[in-house]
Formats: sequence, C-alpha cells, structure tokens
Amino acid sequence: MSDREEIASAEGQNGEQEEIPPAPTGFLRRYVFSIDHKVIGRQFLFLGLGFLAIGGLMAMLIRWQLARPGAPVPIVGKLLFGPSGGVISPVAYTALFTMHGTIMIFFAVTPILIGGFGNFCLPLLIGARDMAFPRLNMASFWTMFAATAILTASFFVPLGPPEAGWTAYATLSTTIGAPGPGQTLWVVAIYLNGASSVMGAVNYITTVLRMRAPGMTYLRMPLTVWGFFLTSILNALFVPVLAAAMVLLFFDRVLGTQFFIAGTTPGAGGDPILYQHLFWLFGHPEVYILILPAWGIVGDLLAFFARKPLFGYRVTVGALIAVVVLSTVVYGHHMFTTGMSPLLGESFMLLTMIISVPTSLIVFSWLGTLWRGAIRMATPMLFCLGMVFTFGVGGLTGLYLADITADIYLHDTYFVVGHFHLIMASALLMSLFAAVYFWFPKMFGRMMNEGLGKLHFWLTFVPLNLVFMGQLVIGYEGMQRRLYDPSVYDFLKPLLPLNRGISHAAYLLGAAQLIFVVNFFGSLARGARAAANPWEVGTLEWTVASPPPHHNFDQIPIVVRGPHELSHPAARALGRDWLGQAEVIETVPAPEPTAPTSTEPA
Amino acid sequence: MHIVLPRDASLDGHLVDGAIGYLTLTTGIAFAAALAFLLAAIFFHRAHARRTRGQHTHGNRPRDRALMFTVALVMFVAIDVTLALRTSRDLESHFWRYPDADPNALRVEVTAQQWAWTFRTAGPDGRFGTPDDVVTLNELDIPVGHPIYLKLRSRDVVHSLYLPNFRTKIDAIPGMTTRIWFQATEPGRFEIACAQHCGVNHYKMRGLLTARLEPEYRDWLARAETDSRLRYDPAAPATTGAWDWETGK
Amino acid sequence: MTAAPTTASRRREIDAQVGLVIFLGATAMLFAALLLAYAIVRSQAPSWPPAGVPPFPRGAAAANTLALVAASWALRRGAPRAALAFGAAFLTAQALLWRHLVAIHLGPSAGALGEVFFALSALHALHVLGGLVALTLTGVRRLRLLTIYWDFVLAVWVVVYVAVCLL
Repeated sequence: MSDREEIASAEGQNGEQEEIPPAPTGFLRRYVFSIDHKVIGRQFLFLGLGFLAIGGLMAMLIRWQLARPGAPVPIVGKLLFGPSGGVISPVAYTALFTMHGTIMIFFAVTPILIGGFGNFCLPLLIGARDMAFPRLNMASFWTMFAATAILTASFFVPLGPPEAGWTAYATLSTTIGAPGPGQTLWVVAIYLNGASSVMGAVNYITTVLRMRAPGMTYLRMPLTVWGFFLTSILNALFVPVLAAAMVLLFFDRVLGTQFFIAGTTPGAGGDPILYQHLFWLFGHPEVYILILPAWGIVGDLLAFFARKPLFGYRVTVGALIAVVVLSTVVYGHHMFTTGMSPLLGESFMLLTMIISVPTSLIVFSWLGTLWRGAIRMATPMLFCLGMVFTFGVGGLTGLYLADITADIYLHDTYFVVGHFHLIMASALLMSLFAAVYFWFPKMFGRMMNEGLGKLHFWLTFVPLNLVFMGQLVIGYEGMQRRLYDPSVYDFLKPLLPLNRGISHAAYLLGAAQLIFVVNFFGSLARGARAAANPWEVGTLEWTVASPPPHHNFDQIPIVVRGPHELSHPAARALGRDWLGQAEVIETVPAPEPTAPTSTEPA
Repeated sequence: MHIVLPRDASLDGHLVDGAIGYLTLTTGIAFAAALAFLLAAIFFHRAHARRTRGQHTHGNRPRDRALMFTVALVMFVAIDVTLALRTSRDLESHFWRYPDADPNALRVEVTAQQWAWTFRTAGPDGRFGTPDDVVTLNELDIPVGHPIYLKLRSRDVVHSLYLPNFRTKIDAIPGMTTRIWFQATEPGRFEIACAQHCGVNHYKMRGLLTARLEPEYRDWLARAETDSRLRYDPAAPATTGAWDWETGK
Repeated sequence: MTAAPTTASRRREIDAQVGLVIFLGATAMLFAALLLAYAIVRSQAPSWPPAGVPPFPRGAAAANTLALVAASWALRRGAPRAALAFGAAFLTAQALLWRHLVAIHLGPSAGALGEVFFALSALHALHVLGGLVALTLTGVRRLRLLTIYWDFVLAVWVVVYVAVCLL
C-alpha cells in the first residue's frame, strides 16, 4: 500500500501518544543514576572501553613473555612484577591469561556492544522513547559495575587473582586447584555480570516485542535490532546455565559440596565433566551472543555504505535464527578430548558442521550487498570490510575444529586461539570500531576525524591478521595453549622466531589503538559538530538531532518502509539516493526492477 | 618461513594430516573465491563521479535465493559432508578401534598429577598393581610396531596427555578413566606434553616417549623389570597409581 | 496489532507481564540446569538414595509446600500482607529444615543427596526471598504480576520436591 494508506491505518491503531516525560535535573540524575537509555549506553561504553584497554595491556604482557621468556618487562615491569624483579612469573602469567580472557569477554565486549550500543541504539532504531524498563536498565549497569569492583578486588586478596583460565575448569577452579579467595571472588563477579546481562535481555526483548513504532514490522527492523534481539534471547536462556555452574562451583568452594570434586579426595564422588557440560552449554551460545550484534551492525552498515539494500534480508534473518537455534546443540565440540561416547561425539560434529550453512548465507548476503553498489569507503565501512575478511578466515578455521579427527590434534593448541581471536578479537573488534565510528556523531554530537580513522583502520587491520593468522600457524605446528615458556619443549623451540614476530605485530596493534584514543577524546572535545544525518541513511535515529533530545522523538514516527531504501528510484526526485523509514512520499514507489535500471554502467 | 607439522611417527597420524590438508585445500579455494569477489566489488563498484547509485535490489528474487542456497549447499557437501564421512570412517576403523583383544598391544596405565606423568606397565605377570610392574616417571618406553593402549587417571585436576608426533591427545580427568591408543612406526625420542591448563607448572609437565625397535625394546624391558624388582617398596605410594585393567578397581 | 487503542498504563501493565515472563523463562533455565546437574549426579551414583544416609524427611518438606500454596492463594484473594506472612513462614520453615538436615548428616557437605537438595532448595529460597522483597515494595499495585511470580515459585518448589524427595 502507499505511504499515505500506511499512515492512516497506523494512526488508527496508535491510540494516544505517550506523554513526553520531563527531562531529569541535577548532575547525579542526569549523568550518574540516570534511567535514560542513552546515558546508560554511554556509561556501558566507557566502562567497556576502559576494560578493553586493560585487557589489551594484559595481552601485550602475555605476548612479551612468549617472545622473550623470562626477560624483565620494560618500563612497567618493576611496578607490576616487583617481587620477581620485573619478570613475569609463572603465577603472574596464569593470572594474566585468566584475566585477559575474562575481561575481554565479560567486561569489554559485552558492555561495549550489548550494554553500550544495544542500549543507546535500540529504542532509537525502533522509534521508541526509551527501553521498556528504564529503572531495570539502570540497575543492569550498576550490577555490572559491582561485578567489575569484585573482579578488581580479586587482584588484592591473599594468594592473588584467579588462575584457572577464563573457562575455570573444575577441579582446577575448586579448592583442590585454587585454594585462595581470588577464585571465589571471580565466581561472584561472573555471576553478577550474568545477572546484569539477564536484566538487559529482559529489557531488550520486551522493548523489541512491545515498543516498536507503528509500521515497524519485524521485517522492517534494522538488522542491528535483530542482532540485539536474538542475542538477548540467547542471553536470557543460557546465561542462567552459567549461573548454575557458578552457583555449584561457589557451593563446592565455600560450603563443602562436591558437585565437581573428584580424584583422590576420600568420598569425592563429584564429576568435573559436569562442570564442562554446564559451562559449555552456556559457552557455545555465548560466542554467538557476542557475534550476533556484530552481524546485525555489519549487515546494516554494509548496506548503508554500499548505497543499496541488504541483499537477502529475509534469508539473513532466517539464517540468524537458524544459527541461534543450532548454537544450542553444538557445545560438545569443546569436549572432544574428554572421551565422550562416539555417538555423542559424531552428533556434535555433524551439528557443528551444519551451522556453517546459515553462516555462509550471512556472508553471501554481505557479498551480494556490496556487488553493484556505489561503495563509500568511509572509516565505518573500512572496518566492516575488514570484518568480512577476517570473519571469512576465522569462520572457516572453525571447520577444522568441528572435525573430530583434526580436532584431536588441534584441540588446546594455538590453532584454537587463532580461530577464536580471528572472530572475537578481529571480526568482533572491527565491528565494534565500525559501530563507534558510525554512531559517535549521534551519541556525542561531533564527527570523528576521518583521516585518523583510516589510519587507525590500516594499522589495526594488518597487525590483527598477522597476529592471529600467525597463531593459526604455530597451533598447526603443535604449540599448546597456556604455556609460560614454550622453550621447555624441543619441538617448540623452532617456533620462537614466529612467536616473536607475532608479539611484534601485537605491540604494533596495541600502539595503533592510541590513534583511536586520541581521535575519540579529541573529537569529543573539538570534533566538528554533527548534523542529524551525516551518513545519509534512512533509519530512525538519524531523523533526530545529534545527540538526540532526552525524549528521542517529538512525535513517535510511523514507519512505512524498510531500513535500507538506498538508491531508491523515488528518492531521485528528492535530489538524494535514500528514503527514510518514516518518510512519506507522494508517488507510489516503482515495483522491484527485474533488471538494474537506475545504476550507471557497471 | 617453513610451516611444518611435527614429525609424524605414528600409524594413523596421516589420517589427521589428511583431514587437515583436505580442509586447507577446500576452504582455501572457497576463501579465495570469496575474497576475489570481495575485492572485485570493492574495486569495481566503488562510488565515484560516474557511479553515484547502487543497484536497488533486495536480493529477494527467486534466482537470488537460489544462487545463495546453491553455493551454500555445494560448499556444505564438498567440505563438510565429505569430511564428516571420511572422519566417521577413520574414527570407526582406526581411532576408536581399541585393541582390547590384541595380544600384541602394550597396555599402560597413566596417572597424571600436578605436575608429572607416571607410567605403569603390568610386568611379566600381566597384572597391574603387583611388584613386577614397571613404573616410570615422565618417561614412556614403547616398542615400535605394537599398538600402545593407554588408560589414564588423574590425581587432582584435569590434565591432557598430548603426543604431537602421534597426532593425538586425551584428557586425564579426576574420578574417571579415559583411554587412547596409537602405534609407532619408527624408533626415536618424542616429547610428551600436557595440553590442559592444570596450574602454575602446567608448562613444565613434559615427558619423553622413547620408541625402540623390538630387540632394543626387549633389552630395555629386561633391564627395567630387574630395576623394578630391586626398587619395589610395598609402602611406596607408587602402588596407588594402579588399577585392575579390566574392572577399574 | 490490536484494533482498539489501548491506554498507556494498560500497555505498561502488559509490558511488565511480558518482561516478567521472560525473566521467569530465564529463571526456569537456571533450575533446569540445576536439575540437569542433579540428574547427572544421580545417574553416576552407585545407588540412590546413596548408601548410609538417613531417610529424607519428606513429610516436613511437604508441609512447607503448604506455606507457598497459602501465599499464592492469599494473593489471589487480594491480601498481599497475608502472602508476605506465608512467604516468610516458608523461608523460616526451610531454614529449620536445613538445620535439621545438617544435624542428621544430610547437609550440603554430607554427600550427593544432601548437596543436591541444598543447591536446589537454596536457589529456590533466594527466589522466594526476592518475591518477598517485591511484595514489600509493590504490594497491592502489582497483584497480577505478583500472582504470576508466586505461582511460578510454587511450581518450581513442587518440581524440586518431586524430583528430589519423591522420585
């Protein structure tokens, strides 16, 4: 139907418009204990960026030790590792890789992408004034904050921080392997982090179900919204399973239960494998929880910067849902070396391989979107293209680990580390940067510097690939994970030059992030003022000022078309190449062309 | 830069190498094709003075979907299905064919602990936990050309026995007995590593596997059995790292 | 989309119910995971109930159920303060039950049955406590939501009781 007809029918259903609530006053209510999703989103963003930096510094230290085993760390060595003369000790090393993983997954990516961009963007993208439960939203941030405080405290307790890896397998994470309070604090911090995620999930799901603007059907939602929506469903269902693992581990550590404790302890009839089942039942959906927002964001941004609709939106949505469903039944591929029954093992192998079908459809939609576009190579687009590249490599390396034969050799080697970093630290990180560069104008009302952005991209993209593809290589050559000093093994001695090369690339990667820091804070202070719609796209957040007023929309918009109406023929008459989602135009849009008519010759 | 797998000294390791090789070839082709497409799109379809609009299609037409699904399914069959069938076959006829009934197999009980490996063979009486067992610390001595059948337990946390030159690893889990089998095809000294984070000295949990040809192995075994009888101490805790092979007690 | 316009407060009421249902789904997954742990612990135990443990005081545990039933009933009758009392009574009774279980060597550190019952009932009790807090803070204003929540809490207890004490 025509735009006018849509509006008429939507208005009939809209009922009374929500009253605009008064804006809060006072510093605390506006910036600290705010219930405004935009403020909470920025709070999560800054918290997460801070921990991203800390986790990154930890990575630099790990790489230092692997490049020069036993050498004192320059500059900060005496300060951080005083008792051992500036050298990273084996104990410190295990704490470093434990906290690096924990921080990056739970305290960097989760708050930045899901807490930060999810909060800031979701109501704006669907045409709402705020989340369904603004006070729950605020509680979710402060719960996360409490979790970070407890995690930080674990560094300062007797016997030090947790050392059982971010996976905290029993019995290493029980009092058998980890007698001190640090591990207990870790368990509590993870639990609180999970509680924050579940609060967020309840909010996001309800918001998407109930607060979409009139006319915003599910199939007109920006893919970013689908990303946050589906991620929240997985969060709501599977973070509680992690909570169960944490609760039982807590009881084992503190109350003398023996759910996971076995071995030579008398009467210990527990099962360490029970921990692995509970952990990975959560753990596998968790990796999809992290990547789904990225898939959503990249899907939208590729369309925006290629100036054409996403290729196969419906197929993509179907594929995302298929991945969500399949992700719940593949977790056993993390446990192939535990001696599980052959039938179970082969089932997990097959199901894991099947996930590659919807995943490849998602990649094809990206490629199809780019083809015959008019690609604008702005910084957000560069990061999206970089994401497509590394996700391709990283995703395909997953197949090696899905195959039991190959996995028996590659399990717990650096091949796994390379695989998941290509997805998490490369594809996901680049999506994160794409999101920052893209929404910075809307969040802060200023433009980031494009030249610095491009420099940041290249100095990030190239070293990222060198570091993590390098890890694929050393894993292939047999180097196992979590090694303080690989030169203990003769077969790993020849890998020292490679390890060193990887570390050098990592240092470059780390240093390059300073460009981002300078750009980010410099632009906050002195960037050019941003217009409402600097990227010239049609989603709803770009119809309001940058930054948006407290109530987002003066009038709740009525949506008449999808989010990617770029290069739309009817836009020509308006002197541009895009149509807004809530933009009413007089003429009925031309039917979908069967052959390209409006592009210049390819 | 020479990128090589560790030397393969095993009977079935080539199956692992073959799977990895097949994956590298097929995913390499797929990735190269996708990358070519990506680069072509970036180079030829960039915005410039003569290219200001993209093609306004949603990719929803039947032929668009047919293309996407066809490529996805072709990749799935060529890469995943082929590999899965091959792996199933390899698992069932090699890796999971434990030599329970093979009189030539050497049975070894492995006890993992923080941070060492104890290896025990049954000795001439064929029973574990008796004074004639040969018990070695961090050293595993095997004959070439015989199946080596390991059963593993752990005293404390999860460890993982990793033999890079035999392309295999298996976890040792407290409260459970796991198992693995392999066979050496050449003599030599090969390293044993721990592949599951097991505490602060995980990196030092190294062992040495020595594979000897039959005659040399028999010589070694005779010396080792004499040593064991001389050194046997009924009060030593070494006897606790032993269990009945069949019943697990 | 509904045909007739709805008031803002009615919409928010439904929003809250939707949110609560999602939260209960998440909570159900927590208990499902704990029940999975119970199933695995039990399947690997040499016998069940484990050898050498005294019989589980099913009667006492069953009696506590009545307090929860009474709480749900009270809410349906529009008496949140009575429900609060019944909920508090349940928690008190559970605490006494735990003390008794520890005394007869069925506490959390006394083997498989003790630890399973404790883990499930402790997490359940935490949710009862949360329900009491919600009751105190919202009282009459959110009767419908509270009723849904307390019915859920009762249902979880029944499942736990049947799974651990009867089966």
